Amino acid sequence: MRHPSDGVLRRLLDEPAGVSDADRAHLTGCPQCLGTLATMRTDATALDSALAPQGSPDVDAAWRRLSAATAEPERVATPARAGRFRPAMRRPVVAAVAAAVVLTGAGTAAANDWLQIFRTEQVQPVALSTADLIALPDLSAYGDVVVTGDGDLRTVDDAAAAEAESGLELPEVADLPRGISGEPTYQVGSEISATFTFSADRAAQAAAAAGETLPPAPAGLDGATVRMVAGPGVAQAWESSAGVPALVVGRAVAPTAYSSGVPFETVRDHLLSLPGLPDDVAAQLSTFTADGGTLPLPVPSDRVSTSTAEVDGVQATVLGLDELSMSAVVWVDEGVVTAVAGSLDVDEVLSVAQGLR
Amino acid sequence: MELIRHGGARAAAALAAPGAVGGISAGRAVGRERGAVSRSSPGAVRADLEDVFRRDYPLVVGVAARVLGSRDQAEDVAQDVFLSFGHSAVPAGEARGWLSVAAAHTALNLLRSGRRRASREEFSAVAQDAVVSDVADAVVTREERRRVRTALAQLPRKQAVALVLRHSGLSYTEVAAALDLSPGSVGTTVRRAESALRKELNRHASSL
Repeated sequence: MRHPSDGVLRRLLDEPAGVSDADRAHLTGCPQCLGTLATMRTDATALDSALAPQGSPDVDAAWRRLSAATAEPERVATPARAGRFRPAMRRPVVAAVAAAVVLTGAGTAAANDWLQIFRTEQVQPVALSTADLIALPDLSAYGDVVVTGDGDLRTVDDAAAAEAESGLELPEVADLPRGISGEPTYQVGSEISATFTFSADRAAQAAAAAGETLPPAPAGLDGATVRMVAGPGVAQAWESSAGVPALVVGRAVAPTAYSSGVPFETVRDHLLSLPGLPDDVAAQLSTFTADGGTLPLPVPSDRVSTSTAEVDGVQATVLGLDELSMSAVVWVDEGVVTAVAGSLDVDEVLSVAQGLR
Repeated sequence: MELIRHGGARAAAALAAPGAVGGISAGRAVGRERGAVSRSSPGAVRADLEDVFRRDYPLVVGVAARVLGSRDQAEDVAQDVFLSFGHSAVPAGEARGWLSVAAAHTALNLLRSGRRRASREEFSAVAQDAVVSDVADAVVTREERRRVRTALAQLPRKQAVALVLRHSGLSYTEVAAALDLSPGSVGTTVRRAESALRKELNRHASSL
């Protein structure tokens, strides 16, 4: 009779009832499986001890701490969540910089209706130290941020479905790098938008709480609204033989911003003057020209090396995360941003990017 | 605004994030954000937060502590996870799995980033090792605990999370649902992780 799989044997240790009668019956008469089971038990017990936490938490004290955190108006809008540990993705600086991006697209005066004021044309890494990422103010302290759309990624069956759902042409990888093979999984995300309404009161409060003096808000800024839209997007991911995602090729409709209300230079300059934004970053951002549509990509300068390269006739930004043996290349062409990232070196990632069809 | 956070995670996957290694964690990050984006007003906290918190806080701390080995850090992670949950629209029935997975990922990211702070707790752990009376603790030295966590950080993410969730007391069905695995493959995944970690422990033990 066929031996039960390792997975079945492992479950037998924890949940005998979850294993079929036939498998259990097999086991009683099979010294080989019993031997395997004994090894598994030893391993599981040893690891359980090695991982076991010490002591038990004080739930009441922890609840008081959480209640305090949810009661602070400046904090509720952006729960600290995983963000503290993933600076580049989650920190408020991303918000601040994103707003600045939007606003640097300015150039047009006020309009009564939504007016496109920014369309991503290229990407530019903005180097920040990790400490800066933690120190920067959160935009939600300066007004209301409302996000609409579902930020979730859905897995779809194949390339055709991915293209149909996203409306984007899926980049086709000509040659997979060495060590990567098989079929990718396909994921699709729908459009999402964010609206930021500036509030002078909130901004003043936030500044006061931080012990800073806010520069006086220009006339007309209170209540001004900026709306940003991004997506839909599509991604294909390959796993290495070890099951780790080894290569991701993604494409999305690049961020575009619209506004109603005050002139953009006004909002931009004010945001850039907010306390907390390091001078050099502010200077860097303010040089992004109005018509360039440059999307700044905040990266921790102490961890990521950046360079540029040409992909398909367009300038691309190349990021290397040496400590994680990861690289990424990202570029924008006609309002569509494409990224190739993976546990590969820079040359391999670039070669995939340049070989996309 | 949250534009780069969402758009970036989707468009550029692993692009800007040390810690967001490839599709799984980036996908996870977006998934975890799902609840947060659906809130209608910034201050709203879901009504069942306290009930869920009181029921699942020890579990969530346990998950993070298994990864980090430090209860102080694990409690910090748990606070972050519940704060996110409080603003999310995750269905109550899925809360336990969602919280556990979020805690495991957050803790693994922290472990991986290597930015572990030297806490009082680690000093007291040294002291405890010196006077430990529990047999299991005597066998598993602090050095072994450290090594097992180093190895845990290097496992494929899904294996690491499955292992930690299982050892934190989630059933095979719960682990399968939380990680989008078939119930049949949970045992295989957990076993692979245990086998790899045990090998790591033994390798060091025999080289001592």
